[in-house]
Amino acid sequence: MGGSSKIRIVVVGAGTVGSSLLELLKSERGVEVVGITDIDPQAPGFRLAQLFGIPHGTDTRKLLAQHRPDLIINATNDPAMETDLQLHKPEHAQVLGQMASRLLGGLAQHERELREHLIQTEKMATIGTLVAGISHEINNPLYIMMGFSEHVRDETRDEGIRKYADAILQAGRRIANIVRDLNIFAQQPRSETLDEVDINQRLAEAVKMARRSTIQDDVSVVAQYGSVAPIRGRPDEILQLFLNLVTNAVQAMEGRGTLTLTTQSSDGYIFATVKDTGPGIPRHHLARIFDPFFTTKEPGKGTGLGLHIVREIVRGYGGEVTVDSTLGEGAVFTVKLPADSGSPASTK
Amino acid sequence: MPWGLHTKDTPGKGRVLVVDDEKNIRDLVRMTLTKAGYDVVEAEDGGKAAEMLRKDDNPLMVDVITCDIRMPKVNGVEAIAFFRKEFPSVPVVVITGFPETDMAVSLFKQGVVDYVAKPIQAEKLLAVVAKAMEQRIALKG
Repeated sequence: MGGSSKIRIVVVGAGTVGSSLLELLKSERGVEVVGITDIDPQAPGFRLAQLFGIPHGTDTRKLLAQHRPDLIINATNDPAMETDLQLHKPEHAQVLGQMASRLLGGLAQHERELREHLIQTEKMATIGTLVAGISHEINNPLYIMMGFSEHVRDETRDEGIRKYADAILQAGRRIANIVRDLNIFAQQPRSETLDEVDINQRLAEAVKMARRSTIQDDVSVVAQYGSVAPIRGRPDEILQLFLNLVTNAVQAMEGRGTLTLTTQSSDGYIFATVKDTGPGIPRHHLARIFDPFFTTKEPGKGTGLGLHIVREIVRGYGGEVTVDSTLGEGAVFTVKLPADSGSPASTK
Repeated sequence: MPWGLHTKDTPGKGRVLVVDDEKNIRDLVRMTLTKAGYDVVEAEDGGKAAEMLRKDDNPLMVDVITCDIRMPKVNGVEAIAFFRKEFPSVPVVVITGFPETDMAVSLFKQGVVDYVAKPIQAEKLLAVVAKAMEQRIALKG
């Protein structure tokens, strides 16, 4: 192979490993991926290859003969492949074995995750600055709107005017809620001060707060709190997380039903569940329910950020949140937090 | 108007200096506070507030200051540093359109009583001002 010319590479195997490698190598200077092959014509790597305009096919021998690579990466699981490649490779070409290929694929995958994380962090920092500025600009006039309409409502004797003023006030509250949610969504790195957080106490507090904001109160609460040790964390954040879950549950039941809350410790984790007896969540919504701005509530009732915020908070503690639902029987959200959570991530 | 040092025995609830660059907001805060029985004086920026207080060492007998953060000329952070240094017995309440954690931490370190976020909820504002007024009375002995 000539000094300054690119290393021509063929990737054999277009599964997970092959796809990761393809992605990594195509942006690498000094190499040119001249083809990717797999016995499965539906292999995921082929779609990438198509996207990148890289030759691909099921006939490895033919592709090797046509494109004459310098390096063949064996990203297959096929034990016979090694021998086959050695037999049919161009004379000068080297073959990278399965184990080395898998290792390289792992590194490629890792590199991609790091890069995505970095992009995401930068994006959130930008959004955070933007949202902070907008919030400030919105909250000032919003307060003027809400403050004066509240005064008008309280001062007037005219029933009609009182109603209109109240409608302005309610609309203002909606805006205030959206701004607040946006802020949590785009939160800047938070302060590092951590406290002991009592999960049971936070959950009970969330229920109290949710009760205050719902008008109908035909919801009975069944609390089965286990003995769980306090975790290190930010009390407000944990409250926010439970408040979002409890509010959703109460709203789903439309003021009538049973809200069941449980906590327990098991295998180094704390599990908290919030269960409602509402209509349940359709299967096709379950996958998207934690996505930002996904909402099924009617306009004005939700920003579509509540559950996303829940997931972000839980992830910050190295935990996870899952949902299970049967139509007609309600839904149950399970929060799993490491019992000794160390310290939650300071950024998202 | 009951002028003079406010104690738990004087009539009225005490005097609040409201510092905000926006007149509408000063009006609203004043309406909420006067309705609850406080006297209110106003300043449109940190510089004006400092002038009002400094002239003859708090001649207005201000008991509590509420102060916005983002203001032209002398901004809230500078103004609050000045209030705390020159008039340590006058508690300060921050009113802000956007509570930033870092800023809140540094303000609390300076001895600010609490902050109220806009859009202000009347009950929250009154609760915080009442807390500040208690501190004021305690500080005056």
